[in-house]
Amino acid sequence: MKEAGLKTRREFLRTGLLGGSLCWTVPGFLQNTMLSLHAAADGQLVQGVTGKDGNILVVLQLAGGNDGLNTVVPFDHDDYRRARPTLGLSEKQVLRLGPKEKVGLHSALAGLAKSYEAGDLAVVQGVGYPNPNRSHFRSTEIWATATDAEKSSSTGWIGRYFDNACTGCDAAVGVTLGSQTPQAFAAKTPKGVLYEAGGRRRRLGADGEPESDGSMTMAMEADGEDGPAGGSIGDIAGSSGKIDALDFLERTEMDVQVTQKEIAAASGRGKNGVPYPGSWLGNQFALISRLIAGGLKTRIYYVSQGGYDTHTGQAGAHDRLLREMGDAVSAFLADLKAQGNLGRVTLMTFSEFGRRVKENASGGTDHGAAAPLFLAGGGVTAGLLGEMPSLAPRDLDDGDIKFNVDFRSVYATVLEKHLGVESGPILGRAFPLLKAYG
Amino acid sequence: MALATLPSSAWDKKKAGVLLQRAGFGGTPQEVEALAGMQPWQAADSLLGSPDLAQAEPPASLRKPNLNDKLRTERNRLKLLDPKTREEKQREIFRALRAEQEKRLTDLRGWWFERMANPATAAREKVVLFLHGHFATSEEKVKNPALLCQQNQMFREMALGSWPDLVLGVAKDPAMLIYLDGARSRPEQPNENFARELFELFTLGEGNYTEKDIQEAARAFTGWTVRLPKKAGETMDEETHNSSFAFNSRWHDGKSKKIFGKTGSFDGADVVRLALQQPAAPRWITGKLWRFYTGSSPSEEMQRELVSTWEENKGQLRPFLQSMWTSPAFYAPELARQRVKSPVEWLVGLCRQLERPLPAPALASEITTQLGQKLFAPPNVKGWDGGITWINTTSLEKRYEYSSWLVSGTLGMRRLGDMDLGRLAIQSGLLEVPRPMIEGTPMEEPDMKKEFAEKRKAAARQARELLAVSPAPLAPLAAPEDRQDPARLVSRLSTRLLPGETTPPELQTRFRKAAGETAPLNDAAIRQTILAIVQSPVYQLG
Repeated sequence: MKEAGLKTRREFLRTGLLGGSLCWTVPGFLQNTMLSLHAAADGQLVQGVTGKDGNILVVLQLAGGNDGLNTVVPFDHDDYRRARPTLGLSEKQVLRLGPKEKVGLHSALAGLAKSYEAGDLAVVQGVGYPNPNRSHFRSTEIWATATDAEKSSSTGWIGRYFDNACTGCDAAVGVTLGSQTPQAFAAKTPKGVLYEAGGRRRRLGADGEPESDGSMTMAMEADGEDGPAGGSIGDIAGSSGKIDALDFLERTEMDVQVTQKEIAAASGRGKNGVPYPGSWLGNQFALISRLIAGGLKTRIYYVSQGGYDTHTGQAGAHDRLLREMGDAVSAFLADLKAQGNLGRVTLMTFSEFGRRVKENASGGTDHGAAAPLFLAGGGVTAGLLGEMPSLAPRDLDDGDIKFNVDFRSVYATVLEKHLGVESGPILGRAFPLLKAYG
Repeated sequence: MALATLPSSAWDKKKAGVLLQRAGFGGTPQEVEALAGMQPWQAADSLLGSPDLAQAEPPASLRKPNLNDKLRTERNRLKLLDPKTREEKQREIFRALRAEQEKRLTDLRGWWFERMANPATAAREKVVLFLHGHFATSEEKVKNPALLCQQNQMFREMALGSWPDLVLGVAKDPAMLIYLDGARSRPEQPNENFARELFELFTLGEGNYTEKDIQEAARAFTGWTVRLPKKAGETMDEETHNSSFAFNSRWHDGKSKKIFGKTGSFDGADVVRLALQQPAAPRWITGKLWRFYTGSSPSEEMQRELVSTWEENKGQLRPFLQSMWTSPAFYAPELARQRVKSPVEWLVGLCRQLERPLPAPALASEITTQLGQKLFAPPNVKGWDGGITWINTTSLEKRYEYSSWLVSGTLGMRRLGDMDLGRLAIQSGLLEVPRPMIEGTPMEEPDMKKEFAEKRKAAARQARELLAVSPAPLAPLAAPEDRQDPARLVSRLSTRLLPGETTPPELQTRFRKAAGETAPLNDAAIRQTILAIVQSPVYQLG
């Protein structure tokens, strides 16, 4: 399958160079492209990741710091109830994950609770890293680069996956739904393109008031409509490593020509088999599903939902964020199942940190540390993974939950068990794998 | 050691072109020549102009009564209605409020774009743009264009003065107090949002403070809040009252705090002072200014020079900027082609270089938004990441598309790309969203809805006329003798559009190809050549 991609690119280079409409300067990028073409021609490509039927990872970033405690809720913990006198959720307000489990999903996540029952959802509890950083940007960077909190890296973990396993691939091996390339994509040889379905990001008011309804048809008709956004963290992309600006521009110019067309074509071929919610996020997941069905050779899709920085008026806002997320994800999983693609896909959520155990005086929560995340898909072994961390005040780290599972264990598991590559070269060392796949 | 100063013997047109682009928004070959004819320091000084240029009268619509006030009173009255009607009413109010805000923000952006495009104010406005990204505040949370305008004007007035004064001004700024939750912070459980970003993003950088410093600083800031306008009346047309800074002693935690190793019953002003005394403080702001103006991170040695220049100038922005702009390092060859123009800089700069008017406010605002820079709505409190993050497959394609509008015009186009003309019509004030009244008919009624949809369609057609972009006038760009000689035309246009750049041979070939070989060149060939230059990777740098 990789041949097809290379052929397109080679063809493009030929016609582009000889044809009249040259629109970029030749030297730097062309040399690099030729080098990677050579590498590809050598047949040394690892794992044949360009294959159309290979496995796919969908990363969903919950930007702003999702309140893990009110997502996967330890409803009958005394420490939880004491720390959350107004925001705490009772047993009646959650969807219990089985009769023996002492945790339940927030009631806005009804779709995900069904996936859990159907065996397509795993909850990894207490995910974090040593010496947690409570800055949005630094912590997002740590998750993106997969480094120790004290170290930095100019490349991201997804970028290193591309560098290691996809050297000859088309740029569309990674697709970001949105307008900014995430820092996790930063690489020696950057790959990945941006593409976005219609509609605008719907965000929530700081006071938790919905700013608009989904059926908005008045002021901003054709756009769908967004409301004024909520918290001070709408979206976090993060900076990329140091790359020669001109070289990068030249490469991007070529990707515009080649890749955007391929994506549009795949999106036209694929069809959605189930209805999706009308939210921005719903539109993005509907598009990802069409691209998968349309046979695009993408390994990693990345999409981000902002607004989780709920310092004030959390109750209503968090409810709506989770509902938007849960509804979009469950429609996506149902659609993949109908297509017969669910087994090839893993969806992984993450947020840069959870929130403080104790609620604040403005009806919100401040930046915290460890939190749960979700892994969903046909290959995933459903259930609770990792221990629920203790909430007893003496066990907390300056008021925050301590982690039990290093987030890089989650990455390593997905890389090895789902994408079928060695995780050591990508993550810098070995991390214990989770029992997330059968 | 402080920054060295460029000798006047080394000052030439190429450097003047670089300065005009980086310190301002670019300009014409005549402006470059005028700068090149001055001494370097004088050139930098003339760009910043006289202090009274900070005075500015904000657009009229921003000074009118504000629907926000209406909303607050309506909320109480809404509670009296039955749930279904209440929900409908609420939607109407939000719609009208949103439409009003969009219109006002459009006016505000258009007004600011004009100041950026004005050679007399451009360099000061560039500093304001830097400050807007540094002290990022978004309308999406503040929801009050008048407050953002007030903050913008504060930046303008303080842009070239003392850094400590400016940071203190930001800490007391109503829009910032709302954006980072300071206004809602209470001593029982202080909100840490502002204290954290003050240290992490505004003054020191990550790693130069402890979590404890943040918690204690958050206590010190309690009581700094926003005085809301008086309870608004029942009607829509009550007077405007803007929110202002207020100190509420009942909400202030006056007890002792320990911040950066010092103990005292500190308040917000003390925190700002203590933060700026930290050794990391001068490093943070000077490094960020250097990156903003050059597109590169300073080397260790460079960073030390920047800090000592900063200290020599006692944190005064104007002499610091002028020293930076007149240092040889600012023009070092390794900094060439490293700085990606931001969407705002790209749009304003292209119009200036083409000596054409800016597009109408709603269109100009939509263009930079589509390219990733929506003024008054940065993506988060860190502002725009800038650099190569401005560039991706989507944004580069759009830059090329929009540049053809600005060069060749949009006459005869049925649509403007994928822009929503109905929305742009509302933002341009061509159509008002009906103002909701508790007693009135709910807009949900099918007739009203239909009627509005019709009006919206008509307004969209009107918007197409209003927003149409005229072709760039060619007279200033190509003299009659340039039309006689394709090589000469390419060279003239390259000097204009890529100042400070030595065009490499393969690019020259590409530009020459666009111009063709037929002399005299007709208008189409000239536009073709301009497009070949601006639709190139190298044009995105500056």
